[in-house]
Amino acid sequence: MRKIIVLLTAGVLMVALVGVAFAGGQQEGGEAAMDDDVIVIGHTANNVGIDSYQTTHDRVWTETVAAMDGVETIQLDAGGDVALQLSQVEDLIQQQVDVIAIWPVNGDALVPGAQRAYEAGIPVIIVNSLIAEEGFDYIEGFAGPDTYQQGVNGAIAMIEALDGEGQVVDLMGLPGYVTAIRRSGGFHDYIEENAPGIEIIATEPTDWNRAKATEVMENLLVRFGDEIDGVYVADDNIGIGALNAMREAGVAGDIVMTSACMFGEGYDAMAEGLIYSSNYQSPAEDAINAVEMAVSIANGEEVPFWNFFETPIVTQENMDEYERPNF
Amino acid sequence: MDGSAVNAQAQQDSSASNKPQQEAGSALTVRSFFEKQGLIVAFVVVVAFFAIASDRFLTYTNIMLVLRQVSILGTIAIGMTLVIVAGNFDLSVGSLTSLTAVVAISMHDVVGPIPAMIITLLVGLASGTVAGFLVGKLRLNSLIITLGFLAGLQAVTLIYTGGRYSRIVEPEQTWFGFIGRGFVFGVPMPVIILAILILLFSIILTRTVFGRHVISVGGNPVASRFSGIRDGNTIMATFMISGGLTAVAGIMLGSRLMAAQNYLGQGYEFEVIAGVILGGTSLQGGEGNIFKAFIGILIIGILRNGFLLLGLPYYFQWVAQWVIVVGVVWLDVASKRGKLLA
Amino acid sequence: MKRVLNFFRRQPIWAILLGIIVVTSLFRPDFLAIGNLLNILVQSAVNGMLAIGMTFLMINGYFDLSVGTVMGFTAALTIGLQPLSVPVAIVLAIGAGAAIGAINGFFVAKAKINAFVVTLGSFIGVRGLIYIYTGEDALVGKVYEFFSFGASRVLGIPTLFLIMLAFALIGEFALRRSAHGRRTYAIGGNVEAAENAGIPVDRTVFLNFVLCGTTAAIGGVLLAARLNAATPGLGWPDTNLMTIATVVLGGTSLTGGSGSITRTLGGLFTLGVLYNVLNLFNVQSFYNLLLTGLVLILVVYVDSHLKQRRVRFE
Repeated sequence: MRKIIVLLTAGVLMVALVGVAFAGGQQEGGEAAMDDDVIVIGHTANNVGIDSYQTTHDRVWTETVAAMDGVETIQLDAGGDVALQLSQVEDLIQQQVDVIAIWPVNGDALVPGAQRAYEAGIPVIIVNSLIAEEGFDYIEGFAGPDTYQQGVNGAIAMIEALDGEGQVVDLMGLPGYVTAIRRSGGFHDYIEENAPGIEIIATEPTDWNRAKATEVMENLLVRFGDEIDGVYVADDNIGIGALNAMREAGVAGDIVMTSACMFGEGYDAMAEGLIYSSNYQSPAEDAINAVEMAVSIANGEEVPFWNFFETPIVTQENMDEYERPNF
Repeated sequence: MDGSAVNAQAQQDSSASNKPQQEAGSALTVRSFFEKQGLIVAFVVVVAFFAIASDRFLTYTNIMLVLRQVSILGTIAIGMTLVIVAGNFDLSVGSLTSLTAVVAISMHDVVGPIPAMIITLLVGLASGTVAGFLVGKLRLNSLIITLGFLAGLQAVTLIYTGGRYSRIVEPEQTWFGFIGRGFVFGVPMPVIILAILILLFSIILTRTVFGRHVISVGGNPVASRFSGIRDGNTIMATFMISGGLTAVAGIMLGSRLMAAQNYLGQGYEFEVIAGVILGGTSLQGGEGNIFKAFIGILIIGILRNGFLLLGLPYYFQWVAQWVIVVGVVWLDVASKRGKLLA
Repeated sequence: MKRVLNFFRRQPIWAILLGIIVVTSLFRPDFLAIGNLLNILVQSAVNGMLAIGMTFLMINGYFDLSVGTVMGFTAALTIGLQPLSVPVAIVLAIGAGAAIGAINGFFVAKAKINAFVVTLGSFIGVRGLIYIYTGEDALVGKVYEFFSFGASRVLGIPTLFLIMLAFALIGEFALRRSAHGRRTYAIGGNVEAAENAGIPVDRTVFLNFVLCGTTAAIGGVLLAARLNAATPGLGWPDTNLMTIATVVLGGTSLTGGSGSITRTLGGLFTLGVLYNVLNLFNVQSFYNLLLTGLVLILVVYVDSHLKQRRVRFE
């Protein structure tokens, strides 16, 4: 008897849990795949909860689609797991969505997934972070920032600020992740080709984590002391982390910082003169750009392969032209 | 230890310790000293290695830096030591750190620093209480339960923030940052907090009745019950302490950054447990030393700092951790039974 | 009929699985589409492989935290050594996994160090090996046959799943019918009694760790075939915990002495189905995670209560 009670309680609790999960978490778009008049976008994103940019991107995506008639979206979060993303692509193919939009966890590992979608006849667009070149044959195009150029911008600004001479450190994002690689690569390549007087003395990853960035910068400051003239960061979140360490060491204003992507707090720091330059990358624009591209493709329109949206350089001089990022 | 440590393992270890203590009468040879104090030896070796390899390592700035870097994990390790001594595991500390840091920061601008800290501590205690109840009173396996908490608490963090990160809007206007960033007589505040906590809980573990109960429950739960010790309550208390101390760590971390991201504490549980084990706390329960657990955490922190100072890739430290953890524990185990292999 | 009911009573996880399938199908009949079910099968192949070896180990009374990074390491080796030839790469990769299993087994069985410590150490250390080997980059497969093998099907069923199933059947047979299997159960049930009965405890434990490392390695090979790539982050941070959870969910006891691969398969499919269902209903990932956590707690609770009843009446 007791066992039955236990099982029943468990059953009721399970149902309640499931109810909560659905009530709280269910998003639009589950059923729509079966309806022919509605365009369904299947969207799998790298890691929605990892930082504010990605969260804002996800939210704006949902809002943009909600404001459109006849369009639905299935929002999936790969949680940074490569195998999971492949499973999600398979599931989206199974649900016969009209177009699949992927923000890759890893550009190389995604290629089989893109190929599978291609073979199933479902168009694929890549969002924000590039897929490897081998995958280009299977996709309709890319919608996102030109992260390599962002690295180049960071290098240009650094050269200007340092007058072509000095030693810099590079605080990267997540090792192995395309955006981190391209932002760092753009910076490294441009410096090597154009600024013989500047030496990159260290490159360290921070996993996009502010606490990690602080720790890494602290250790670098101990290692190099006042030999560091400039620090290049893959985004402002990392930049603020590094600034924490620099502030405590008393060198916050002395070391030049250029960043590849602007966040709200970076905007504030730039106003104080602590960050020399950054790139204005709006997750909202990113998402809207991608949604529009996806819808166009689903409607059968021709779209250019490369769909970059503008990520202009922002410095103290022109920062008034831009609104403070809200993430 | 119903189900919390694996049965065969428990029987194997206890049969090993039943063997006669051969070295009881033998002199304290240099070799047996090394074997018994594996942790201290490892510590000295590691420090010496980096001091020789890098002239920046033993500077005052760097020492304070490393101490502050490990104070977060060190605080969590205090609670973890108690949980492990009582015979269980707490895998939820990483997610709980994320949650408490987020709560502390997000509440700060809403209700002010002190209420925010109180709320954060309550969140930590609440998590510890529920976990402690499930493990201590309902006697469920702590590995799986706290694994469930690891997932659940991370989910709560994500849902609570909606994925966005939290920050304090006017960091200059509040004293809250002093906890994580301040210095007192040249010593970073988190280090002072950690030192006080280590002292406090070492005394609790070794000199109070509660502490003796914790050791007894971990070492021999059946005998404890027969002596009238309410082991369920004791275990629950260890989890509550773990939750509370993790909340303190979350506050310190949030204060350091004046902001909090959702996955801040991801992976902490393994680092903390590795440090606690390195420090000699037995996974069978019944044995542990809070200060030595801190030394274990410190060694891991030194590896991280040292490798960066030397310009070596960060991932080498993981292999070093493997060697050191297994090596030190092996020496420790070997010294107790008098030979390397059983 | 009575046999069926008995089966569900002894292995409640299958009842739970059935329940979820039935309820879901009522709301979303497309859940039962062949394509969807096949997806679930192939998506569970890798985890299933890891869980096979883990089942042996847990019945023996231990667990292995290093399976996640061993899987990642072998995936990297399988792709990275392709220039030598695919079969050679696979053999070397599996060999590496077995070697790490042997190291773990040596420390646990011979040096008698606690399994948690040993495998936590190798978990962290092997992660370092992955990064050292890959140099932080993703490795991409260049051999078309290997990749198409990973996507292939036999009679419509994904090959990778069939491989896992084959190993599962062999494993279950070995558990129940071989001497090694019997010894595994015996040691897990009562070490001293097993010793007194003359069972070579150390050797059995050692073999089970090697087995666990080997199945983790095979899982890595399957993963590499599926992704045609290997990233340094594979297997971190919680693959090992999810593997243990899969086995426990199935009903294998954490204290050792009981369990089976069939049970583990129950746990495996339940988790796979659960995930698929949540996707189908477009539940936001944050709630997904919450549900996973709560399910784990719930299952342990139910299982412990059922176990107490059993002990009392037997």
